[in-house]
Amino acid sequence: MSEFRDPSGGGATPIARLVDAFHRLPGIGPKSAQRLAYHVLRAPEEEARDLAEALMEVKRSVVLCARCQNVTTENPCRICSDTGRERVIICVVEEPLDVVAIERTGGFHGLYHVLHGVISPADGVGPEDLKIAELLTRIRDTDRDITEVIVATNPNLEGEATSMYLGRLLRPLGIRVTRLARGLPAGADLEYADDVTLGRALEFRQEV
Amino acid sequence: MPGRAPRVTKTEAIVIRQRRLGEADRIVSLLTPLRGKVDVVAKGVLRSKSRMAGHLEALTHVEVVLAHGRSMDVVTQAQAVESFTALRGDLDRLSAALYLAELADRFTVEHADATGLFTLLHSALVRLDRGDGQQVVTRTYELALLEATGFRPEWTRCLGCDLDVPAEGARWSAVEGGVIGAECAAKYPAAVPIDATALRVLRAYQSQPYEEAGRIRLTDDLAARLEQIMHSLMRAVAERELKSAAFVSAARHARVAEEAAEATGDEDDEAEALED
Ligand SMILES: [Zn+2]
Repeated sequence: MSEFRDPSGGGATPIARLVDAFHRLPGIGPKSAQRLAYHVLRAPEEEARDLAEALMEVKRSVVLCARCQNVTTENPCRICSDTGRERVIICVVEEPLDVVAIERTGGFHGLYHVLHGVISPADGVGPEDLKIAELLTRIRDTDRDITEVIVATNPNLEGEATSMYLGRLLRPLGIRVTRLARGLPAGADLEYADDVTLGRALEFRQEV
Repeated sequence: MPGRAPRVTKTEAIVIRQRRLGEADRIVSLLTPLRGKVDVVAKGVLRSKSRMAGHLEALTHVEVVLAHGRSMDVVTQAQAVESFTALRGDLDRLSAALYLAELADRFTVEHADATGLFTLLHSALVRLDRGDGQQVVTRTYELALLEATGFRPEWTRCLGCDLDVPAEGARWSAVEGGVIGAECAAKYPAAVPIDATALRVLRAYQSQPYEEAGRIRLTDDLAARLEQIMHSLMRAVAERELKSAAFVSAARHARVAEEAAEATGDEDDEAEALED
């Protein structure tokens, strides 16, 4: 972003800093980052303050649910404290967005557990870097009625490795471990699956 | 146009890793026979309609067409030649294969001939996929990789005096890459004792043809000791932690724990049956 450098040589200007900050967001290229930064620059001060406060608020008030590790403003989260949910089954997902995708299908009424990633040694991510210990503790202590865990990690190599590993850890606890049915295209991301396909994959899940 | 560099290349490759690039694109690291390790961009593979996604997963032997881009080549076509589906369905073999791929990644130079390393990785994946022992495949691959890259470990003669070292009472050093006899122990303060049985197996793996090496029977316990020795050697040569090595061990621990739980479960059943 050299065109935003302070001509007096004093380092990055405030606007360059803002462009850089937008550019670091997922899906924002350099052009979009510039457009957003200039939008903020032209906008009334109130709008800028709203944005800044919303950003700070989300960092202040959003925490991880102590039970399912999903992002939440209440702890435990709304799903974990909903007495209408089936408390014998947990669906394990990689990311909070996967909970949104599965809730949208309307076909699952149990509890969730968010791993916050997937086992991927090539990216330096091992089991100890995920919320796996929390899942085991939860099943042993707080959610003792669980009989089945559906591993809804993405249908790719890392997702399969994670599901097989979880199977080895959970079966000795007397848990039935299942996997989403085939039908989701190999190598694709759960986030991009349509509701019908995802709903069907949940319904026809198979033993790991 | 004669004289111009070709704008596309067709090559076979083994996908050694993938990482996310933005919303739906990926950077794919390929091990190719003639150009060594090459990082290429695969566009849109995370979307569920992408036809290339399954063909570009790690541990796939693939035929790709690459278009030359300004900073990185772009994959325009990908067709799996071998997907090694059997090894993907078994956690021990899958973790072993991921480890072989990470080693290939660490030991291969970019844009240089790698025909030998390509053949090594390919045959190791074929062997794991058809059900050969995970230990013999992994250990012989590690030793061949070290040999090919100039880091051949010395399992027989003392690093200090070049005399044959008896397996019983031998010491070894991962950083020095070999064994040390009792007489020279003082010269290598960092060396540690090495299990005699494990050392004999490593000598056999290094000197015998693969088929012979495969006949050696290993207990889970001996396999764990071999693994520990070779992981520390590979870590010392690569000069870094190998996350996939830790995952191989974690997967095995989880299997052993599950088998132990099943065994106690069976004993409980038997005890109950006796009570009845
Ligand atoms: Zn929760």
